[in-house]
Amino acid sequence: MLNTEQKERYRRQIAVVGEEGQEKIGSTRLLIAGAGGLGSTAALFAAMAGFGTIRIIDPDCIDETNLNRQVLYREADIGRPKADTAAKALHAMNSLIDVEPVTAAIGTPMARDLIRGIDVVIDGLDNYPARFLLADTAWKCGVPFIHGAVEGFYGQVCSILPKKSPCLRCIVPNPPPVRETPLIGVTTGIIGCVQVTEAIKLATGAGIPVSDCLWLWDGIRQKSDRLRIERIPTCNVCGKDEYQIRAGERMS
Amino acid sequence: MKVNVKAFATFREVMDNQVAMEFSGGATIRMLLAELTRRYEGLDKLMFTAPGTLRDFVNILRNGRNIHFLAGLDTPLDDGDVIALFPPIAGG
Repeated sequence: MLNTEQKERYRRQIAVVGEEGQEKIGSTRLLIAGAGGLGSTAALFAAMAGFGTIRIIDPDCIDETNLNRQVLYREADIGRPKADTAAKALHAMNSLIDVEPVTAAIGTPMARDLIRGIDVVIDGLDNYPARFLLADTAWKCGVPFIHGAVEGFYGQVCSILPKKSPCLRCIVPNPPPVRETPLIGVTTGIIGCVQVTEAIKLATGAGIPVSDCLWLWDGIRQKSDRLRIERIPTCNVCGKDEYQIRAGERMS
Repeated sequence: MKVNVKAFATFREVMDNQVAMEFSGGATIRMLLAELTRRYEGLDKLMFTAPGTLRDFVNILRNGRNIHFLAGLDTPLDDGDVIALFPPIAGG
């Protein structure tokens, strides 16, 4: 049950998702992997929306090149750990939620621990080796993984739903090499917000998640597309799973 | 035989978003890419490391299926196919 403070704080949002929907958002535990451009935008809007627990992980400290897009940080934060700084900013934004900062890189032994108790993962990572490690673990644990990635004016999002959609390896079988990606803050803002929109939909049951296709954003043309992607039957992660795609979830 | 090619993300910087292509007889992805790289300067360098060697991470989907798991560049085309070309992006 929402208390009086929650009912007042989320009044405009309850008008959209209902009290029951707000309770579901409040009881949803998010893992935000990466506290960079995507992660800081996603964390900000997730905190404002009232996700009850936000666990945020990043190994890095803030530097001045982050400030064109990483909305949780200020000039005075340069040199501080991202996860702790993000947690303080999020708590200042919404003291009704719990924020758990983790300053670490995602590694094999801890990926499962990181996902333990989590309902939805938001991908704010900047490389595919870490994404595959976390997405594979999330798949095995039955936890939705909301993939997002950006470059320049372009972005992509897919809600990967275990046993319902293709896994990340089917969507990106051969990742691009790791490099410093050119980025503009508005694109990380747009894609981070789309990812939180997906998280709200998954938490409340509103709408249809963007699964079974890759949603692609083109900021140069202000245009979005849906690219239908089928799973790879021989995929080592999801190839053996029995699928349960409902007709309404298949989009092209 | 007509196929519709759609390009996404950074490929749009060197080619049109959508291209309708027509072939008089049978055709493959290899033939389609030869025509596209002839038509669009700069596409060859984005897609290939050497003649006939596709960059690993270039995704080419024939009706949603990645050609890496079909017959690669020799994947045959059928009338009405939708071919999507996209380079996965990685930044966060």
